Amino acid sequence: MIRFGLRLALASGREAATRLVTIALAVTLGVGLLLAVLAGINAVFSQNARYAWLNSGVQSQQQAPSTKDSAWWLVRGDYFEGQNVGRVDVAVTGPDSPVPPGIPALPGPGEYYASPALATLLAQRPADMLADRFPGHQVGTIGDSALPAPNSLLIIVGHTPAKLSGLPGAQRIDRIATAPPQDCISCYVGIGAAGIELILSVVAAALLFPVLIFIGAATRLSAARREQRFAAMRLVGATPRQVTVVAAVESTVAAIIGTAMGFGLFAVLRHPLAAIPFTGAPFFTADLSLNIVDILGVALGVPLGAAIAARLALRRVQISPLGVTRRVTPRQPRPYRLIPLALGLGELAWFIDHPRPQTGTGQVAVFLPGLLVTMAGLVIAGPWLTMVGARLLARRSGRPAALIASRRLADNPKVAFRAISGVVLGLFVTTTATAVITSIEAHRGARHDNSLASTAMSAEFWPEHNSPYADQTSVPGTVLDQLRSVPGVRSVTVVRRNDAAFAPVQRSAPVGAPGPGVDPGPPLEVGLVLCADLALDASLGRCADGATVAGVPAAFQGWEMPSGPGTVFAAAAVGADQLAHLPVLSVVANTDGSSATLERVRTVLELAYPNATGTPSTQDDVRTDQTTTMAQWEQLANVVILASLPIAGCSLAVSVAGGLSERKRPFSLLRLTGVPLRVLRRVVALESAVPLLAVAVVAIGTGLLAAHLFLRAQLHYNLHAPGGGYYAIVAIGLVASLAIIASTLPLLERITGPETARND
Amino acid sequence: MDRTDHGAAGTVGEGGALVSAFVEARDVVLSFGETPALRGASLAVQRGEIVAIMGPSGSGKSTLLHCLAGILVPGSGEIWFDGQRVDALGETRRSTLRRDRFGFVFQFGQLVPELTAEENVALPLLLGGVRRGPALGRARTWFDRLDLKGLEGRRSGELSGGQAQRVALARAMVSEPEVLFADEPTGSLDSLTGEQVMNLLVDSAREQGTTVVLVTHEPRVAAYADREAMVRDGRVTVPAVEPVAS
Amino acid sequence: MSVPLTLLGLLEREPSHGYDLKRDYDTYFGRGRPLPFGQVYATLGRLARDGKVVMGEVGPGEGPDRKRYVITELGATEVRTWLSEPVEPEPHLQTVLFAKVVLTLMLGRPAEEYLDLQRAAHLRRMRELTEIKRGDSLVDGLLADHGLFHLEADLRWIELTTARLEQLAKAVRS
Repeated sequence: MIRFGLRLALASGREAATRLVTIALAVTLGVGLLLAVLAGINAVFSQNARYAWLNSGVQSQQQAPSTKDSAWWLVRGDYFEGQNVGRVDVAVTGPDSPVPPGIPALPGPGEYYASPALATLLAQRPADMLADRFPGHQVGTIGDSALPAPNSLLIIVGHTPAKLSGLPGAQRIDRIATAPPQDCISCYVGIGAAGIELILSVVAAALLFPVLIFIGAATRLSAARREQRFAAMRLVGATPRQVTVVAAVESTVAAIIGTAMGFGLFAVLRHPLAAIPFTGAPFFTADLSLNIVDILGVALGVPLGAAIAARLALRRVQISPLGVTRRVTPRQPRPYRLIPLALGLGELAWFIDHPRPQTGTGQVAVFLPGLLVTMAGLVIAGPWLTMVGARLLARRSGRPAALIASRRLADNPKVAFRAISGVVLGLFVTTTATAVITSIEAHRGARHDNSLASTAMSAEFWPEHNSPYADQTSVPGTVLDQLRSVPGVRSVTVVRRNDAAFAPVQRSAPVGAPGPGVDPGPPLEVGLVLCADLALDASLGRCADGATVAGVPAAFQGWEMPSGPGTVFAAAAVGADQLAHLPVLSVVANTDGSSATLERVRTVLELAYPNATGTPSTQDDVRTDQTTTMAQWEQLANVVILASLPIAGCSLAVSVAGGLSERKRPFSLLRLTGVPLRVLRRVVALESAVPLLAVAVVAIGTGLLAAHLFLRAQLHYNLHAPGGGYYAIVAIGLVASLAIIASTLPLLERITGPETARND
Repeated sequence: MDRTDHGAAGTVGEGGALVSAFVEARDVVLSFGETPALRGASLAVQRGEIVAIMGPSGSGKSTLLHCLAGILVPGSGEIWFDGQRVDALGETRRSTLRRDRFGFVFQFGQLVPELTAEENVALPLLLGGVRRGPALGRARTWFDRLDLKGLEGRRSGELSGGQAQRVALARAMVSEPEVLFADEPTGSLDSLTGEQVMNLLVDSAREQGTTVVLVTHEPRVAAYADREAMVRDGRVTVPAVEPVAS
Repeated sequence: MSVPLTLLGLLEREPSHGYDLKRDYDTYFGRGRPLPFGQVYATLGRLARDGKVVMGEVGPGEGPDRKRYVITELGATEVRTWLSEPVEPEPHLQTVLFAKVVLTLMLGRPAEEYLDLQRAAHLRRMRELTEIKRGDSLVDGLLADHGLFHLEADLRWIELTTARLEQLAKAVRS
């Protein structure tokens, strides 16, 4: 029986071969996607594991066996040209100190190991921009096993124990952490791996939806002919089991071919995929690997699933030896089909007024399933919406084409909707993703005229952060001179601390109502500045008229508020002569904004204050950390949009081609009874276009609604209208769908010729 | 003039002994949803007979044939074949019965479009587990007998109506069935082609002693049979056997 | 076309005058060829001689054409037998078939059973002809085909009539 099934599957003529190839292609896409996701999850964990050693200073770690000698250890962050730089300062106390992965031994004083990317930068950039920050010379490169990403900027600098032990935050360690950060509560270096895993899984499910629809459309090709073939077999005495075996063999062969090609597709896509920074940092290509469970699971599971699906599909149909003769008009879809859609949207709306989970993982666990239920709800409600659209069409036009089309649609709305379900989902996903991102950018992106964010670099000494420089009352003259001598520096200003509340201290508030847990921003008027100094650089702002000392933020910038030349700072009730005795809060160097200038300024400040608890930075640098999450979402959204629309287009094309042969007989008969060809063409056009447009409107509307609900609940933003790019994509998508439908119209004449109405 | 309202469970044969029928329906009732198709139909067919079932369209004659062949299971009543109850068998056993002991020639839609003519003829054998080589060999012998030489490799779409029906006949006979069920076998053929098919059908059946149950609404086709049974409104009337003398 | 039997059949319905008999015959069975009076009376005379009809009482002042003829037991039996037996299937017997069906209906008898019997007879004859056709002689086969087509035509008529019996009965008995 299996050989017979193979013969039918592989050598049955053109129609069967087309079906086989189409199913195989659809399976290829699905398998490639699945493998990419599985590899992505593996990659996230492998990458995260490489962060482990950076958490060696965290006390609660369970880790590798301890060494006889300990080492001093301090992990700090730095910035360079908008990227994060990881800096580990170490000091060896004996020959058997713990050694992190990637290097043969800890560097001694005056030595350092740099990651390959950082080593390149060190060589290429002028020393005063980068290399001067790190005392000593490079003795080697950090190996891949210690680098989270191929382009990671990491440096391990050696010192004497005496020097390092005096730095705030330095610790003695006698072992290197090996536990991955997600297993360790207070580890702060690393990525939210569990959250990413969930996001990737759910995105995969969201993309697999359209792929499954595609596979379904391909499977339904030639359905009538296959039914007839099975009926003939049953007549001659094939048992139901034999028929099931043949059908299962056909499906399994297609699935096996598709799975093999899917592995090939994954192999091809591996390298480009690794470059996409889902976690904020790209992967090594080797990270995107599959373990044996993944491989066996997919290679065996997909064909097995195909066989089982074929079996279940036949179970519903019950092929009798007489074929499916008495087709009763299927039941009308009921309004209760709208319930899942309402549930999904309702779940999203619930969280507007109710508290949501605190952790990122919890939030994902709550929102993305809501979106998925909404997607499923769209697919379930589709036939009902098609039926409603058909009824409206019937009422509004009395012409024959509309009457025939609306009657055919109303009789079988499920079939009509199936063809476009992929496109509908694609539209929904695209709309939601684009609307969310556009709105977020509209809020965050507006700099509110803060020109200082990219130009003003400040070194800040906060007593709350235990800065060792918090009580200094002066800045060494050499520092000020060095700063002023960097080409591109406009001004260097010293800001004093407003401890005695000479000016009222307020906290700035971000624009838009803040929710719980949102950082309210830095305090204003926490610093004091000499108006004479301020007057030297108008771009920082100006004092109120008549003031000699003004209350200012530490870097002259409030949170999400306008800063820069137009800002007026209120006077403080303190005399200029008293100012010199107040502790220094910050040193602010305003520059021309070029990276060369900024990095030189940073180097000077780092060398001037080597033990500082924070890194000298601009507000842009700080923002970089915050936008990483945003960037992750954007990347994923782009991938989803790029992938789902073409898949939807494929399933539409396949369904339309299949629908064409279903129309052969009834339309030939109509033609013979005198219905003109142009009326038939209009019928086909209406039959396809009406459901498409009706449900597209609903899909877009639902997408915008879902985006609005998500934004209100998660970020308390309102929906912003998406930009021109979105409308362009939607228009292109709809036009392409209509074009696919229209392309079949010329074929109508050929296939409804009189010979197809023969009684044979 | 005696007339029976149904073919009795046994007819009196020569010497007065009760001969039980080879294929038999007893008081079969079958409805499709609300619509009754058979309302207590009974028919007895002897081994080796050729019986024509006639009647107006919608009378239930095809349904009766489907019941006798084990394709449909009646709502009530009994179907007997060679001493065993067919309607009591499960789907698998009835399928096996159709494969090994029955043959079918219908009006349309009986050949598998993806297979060649010889594969179609060999199909019952292949389904029964005969290996491909011997099955095709047996199939090919029928091509000569039914004037189909040269058409072995053609697909069903490439055959004319008469050729397709002869291929169907070959397929029906290849497993040497004990009963051949034919439903309007010449329905879509012209007179001459139809005659050709009927001649071959009756010749093959007579040669192998196959019992034939033939459904037709055409008297000229029914005239090939040994006797006829009328189906009207879901019931069967059988004219009584005429006394020999006239 | 059996005139004596037809007249007998009409008489079984009710006793009639010769004139009425001819009129009825012409209406139902004449088909543009009315029966000559002479033939009517000659046939009636023969039937009377055979004892199948008798002449009834003659009223005063009525001539021979005012005689009423009554069917006898013998005549009635003959009609019954004739009506219940199928006609030998021959190609050109539409008129006989038709007469028998109409008379059966007139007499209130079940025509369906008769038609069934006739059909069975036709089919039997068709089987015989088919055997001839399957034989060796081509000429015989052609003749057999001819017969078969005519018999088939009869059978079609029988089918149609069977479907229309109720209507026909109403029309005939009114």
